Amino acid sequence: MQVQSMFFKRTASEKLNDALLQRNMANLKSKFVDGRARAITEIEDWEEIRTHAAALRDRTIANLDAYLVEFERNATRRGARVHWAQTAADACRIAVEIAQANGVRKVTKSKSMVSEEVNLNERLEEAGIQVVETDLGEYILQLAQEPPSHIVAPAIHKSKEQVADLFEAAHHKPRSTDIPALTQEAREALREHFLTADMGISGANFVIAETGTTLTVTNEGNADMVTTVPRIHCVITGIEKVIPTLEDFATLIRLLPRSAIGQGIANYLTLTTGVKGEGDLDGPEQTHVILVDAGRTRLVGSDMQAMLRCIRCGACMNHCPVYQNVGGHAYGWVYPGPMGSVLTPVYVGIENAGDLPNAATFCGECQVVCPVKIPLPDLMRKLREQQFETKQRPFGERLALNAWAFMARRPRLYAAFTRIASRIGAWMGGRDKLIHSLPGIDGWTKGRDMPAPAGKTFRELYRERRPSPQPSRKGEGA
Amino acid sequence: MKVGLFVTCLVDLVRPGIGFAALGLLEGAGCEVVVPEAQTCCGQPGYNSGAREVSQALARKVLAEFRDCDYVVAPSGSCSGQVKVHYVDDLFRDAPERAEFERLAARWYELSDFLVNVLKIESLPGRIEGEVTYHDSCAGLREIGIKAQPRELLKRAGARIHEMNECEKCCGFGGTFSVKLGDISTRMAANKCANIRATGVKTIAGGDLGCLLNIEGRLRREGDMETRVVHYAELISTDKHG
Amino acid sequence: MSARDNILGRIRKAQGRSGTEPTAAELAQVRADIARRAPGPIPAIGRASDLQRQFTHACDRVGTSHGEVASLEDVPAEARRYLDANALEPRLVGWHELAGLDWTSAGIALEDRPARGSDRASVTTCFCAIAETGTLLLLSSPATPKATALLPETHVCVASKSRLVPNMEAAFALLRAERGEPPRATWFVSGPSRTADIEQTLVIGAHGPYRVHVILVP
Repeated sequence: MQVQSMFFKRTASEKLNDALLQRNMANLKSKFVDGRARAITEIEDWEEIRTHAAALRDRTIANLDAYLVEFERNATRRGARVHWAQTAADACRIAVEIAQANGVRKVTKSKSMVSEEVNLNERLEEAGIQVVETDLGEYILQLAQEPPSHIVAPAIHKSKEQVADLFEAAHHKPRSTDIPALTQEAREALREHFLTADMGISGANFVIAETGTTLTVTNEGNADMVTTVPRIHCVITGIEKVIPTLEDFATLIRLLPRSAIGQGIANYLTLTTGVKGEGDLDGPEQTHVILVDAGRTRLVGSDMQAMLRCIRCGACMNHCPVYQNVGGHAYGWVYPGPMGSVLTPVYVGIENAGDLPNAATFCGECQVVCPVKIPLPDLMRKLREQQFETKQRPFGERLALNAWAFMARRPRLYAAFTRIASRIGAWMGGRDKLIHSLPGIDGWTKGRDMPAPAGKTFRELYRERRPSPQPSRKGEGA
Repeated sequence: MKVGLFVTCLVDLVRPGIGFAALGLLEGAGCEVVVPEAQTCCGQPGYNSGAREVSQALARKVLAEFRDCDYVVAPSGSCSGQVKVHYVDDLFRDAPERAEFERLAARWYELSDFLVNVLKIESLPGRIEGEVTYHDSCAGLREIGIKAQPRELLKRAGARIHEMNECEKCCGFGGTFSVKLGDISTRMAANKCANIRATGVKTIAGGDLGCLLNIEGRLRREGDMETRVVHYAELISTDKHG
Repeated sequence: MSARDNILGRIRKAQGRSGTEPTAAELAQVRADIARRAPGPIPAIGRASDLQRQFTHACDRVGTSHGEVASLEDVPAEARRYLDANALEPRLVGWHELAGLDWTSAGIALEDRPARGSDRASVTTCFCAIAETGTLLLLSSPATPKATALLPETHVCVASKSRLVPNMEAAFALLRAERGEPPRATWFVSGPSRTADIEQTLVIGAHGPYRVHVILVP
């Protein structure tokens, strides 16, 4: 996906005024937020499971190389071929080579955010290979030629009317806005592709070191079609997806669908290991697993390593008030919301995504709902520290911050400044006691009044009312 | 028992009455209250803007100013969270002074928490007629567990709490966020105001002045000159700030 | 240096280790950790004392219908009842191990072959069933092609009550005990396929089966 994160502020403002988007985003609350709240009541030891899951993810990342090598050993032993891709370009090159070496003309794909990161579809199409997205949301977006706006529900920003328009143009059937009918249309349209694809490309929610297994978690059954029917199965996934054992998967799967969409279990948990067995009547003849770095190793061993725990549930964005109001496209890349505000600057460069870590009030809701307890606000703050240290914020912002910092350490200067500011503010407020416009903070005053200061500071009023001086202490009144 | 009052930079500059309300409540409950004169700011605005060194310098200043107090009390959940959580877990996590900051954190209380759980205050000077709705500021709620305490105080002063929908949802203040990403912040404030309006209640209380200024600012711009937006301390005390 | 060397080397360097390959000692430690197979906390719904009740309750939640018969011989009649009740043709494509039952007396045409795209209904067994979540575990093998359970619109699954386990951890333990390791396809099915990708409105029946019916046998 092309990076558009540098336009966050402008795009976000546009999205705030996009009535259709605002209406579509309302589904987040009723379905995902309320759904999650209900679903976690089924698990009385939810917090305990979160703690266990965070620890198991940390333990794995602490020995990431060994777990990856163990996965590779077991996957290879079972007949899969494991490839390593340092960059996005490498990942695409490997996939295209596999396709070309096997005369692949059509690929069916189940959802993979990593494939969005590396622009896999474009590269395959450039090589003359037809790519068909089969996850319903991704299929809709493929027709619309739009990127996903959510990592679990990619077409959440689309209305049924918009889908009806897309389907009418693509399927040449009478237009319907009935959602079951639209779904049936997609099922019929994709069925033929499922059965005639030469290669299926899937992501992997996790890969299991113990057994060399890759797995997908879906509701539709499209990943099953993609990984069972074609003669070649290619998995593309990030190196951080490795988990040690089948038991670890059993733990994580209690957290994932509940956190994501409020379901106790996803319809299909599809574990694939190796290739078609001797005598099997279905299954791929070749299985390839492409393990992608593309920036993940930057996080290993860093003070932001916790981000690698992420299991891509989407709970953080579902609960983020900023995401709820602006939607996913404003974030400008593959990953929106809080996790996107951390990953995007790390993966595409903080200079290209500078506003993202600042698009947060640090309300903390993301951290509360993250199933693996990633301290997302802290990670966003670390990115802000990087920006501050490398002077990446706008000049006016830096000036204001430095001025405040200078004064806050000098109480007498601070006292003098605040006395003046309080009076000016009170005067500006007038009889209303409201400041309607204040250059420099028109980010505030464009949409809100500023209640005026009282006119005198607490410090001066306290002195007036309590004239007996306090015993002076070292370090005070400097 | 010597209690240091941390007034907070916003209260000092914009609404000193909250500071006097806090002072009155603490003294009324029998505390000897000192207000170190050189206090300025807990450092949170700089901290959240990534200015780590300045944040540490201001933290040391706070530590020094309140060293001799048995307790420190602040009428703000976010300042209290900065001291109790961020000073210890982040700014001085690996520093030699960590233990001192842990001690400061242990002695530091948000005002309602102090009144309810330490002083176990029985009677309150203020009387509140009618209904109040309450906005839970994010840092106070999620960092240091301020939820029941202010409501308890309001009820004891006679108020009926009428909860708004999504009372725990961020109002959009977020410190400098309110200016840097003003459009989004304004929308979040508008959403909060819609929830307030839906209650029909004319008094909204909270525990953080930043949130209160944001909410009031949006209400007034929407034409609502009537709804009172106040710190809970102002409702339960009788101190008039002048 | 290959991509593999570079990636492993970067990981190791970031964690204060040298080289581009985990040492034998590091691998041994990781293998020992794996061999422990330590499970995480298991909630109450995963530790039900009445497994059948928890299973059927969970099936109701995910939309899998269920029936129970006294013996394997009664399965064709129950399958016929189910197909009739849903106005479906009495034709099934099925796994080999069920081919020997008396389908003819129930008036069902059963074909013992893997399903094709045109088949409408199928019947399979399952390796085990999981009570916590109403889940069926199907394993691929020459006699148990996954396509049979995946392609048709209706999937009937015969599940033995003696192979009803409380949770996924127990299913994995059984898998290891009986098969050693997972076969090519290890497939957990919980209800008919669904999607909510259009306006987050739930629609049952996406690409997998529209209907899943479990017949419990002893």
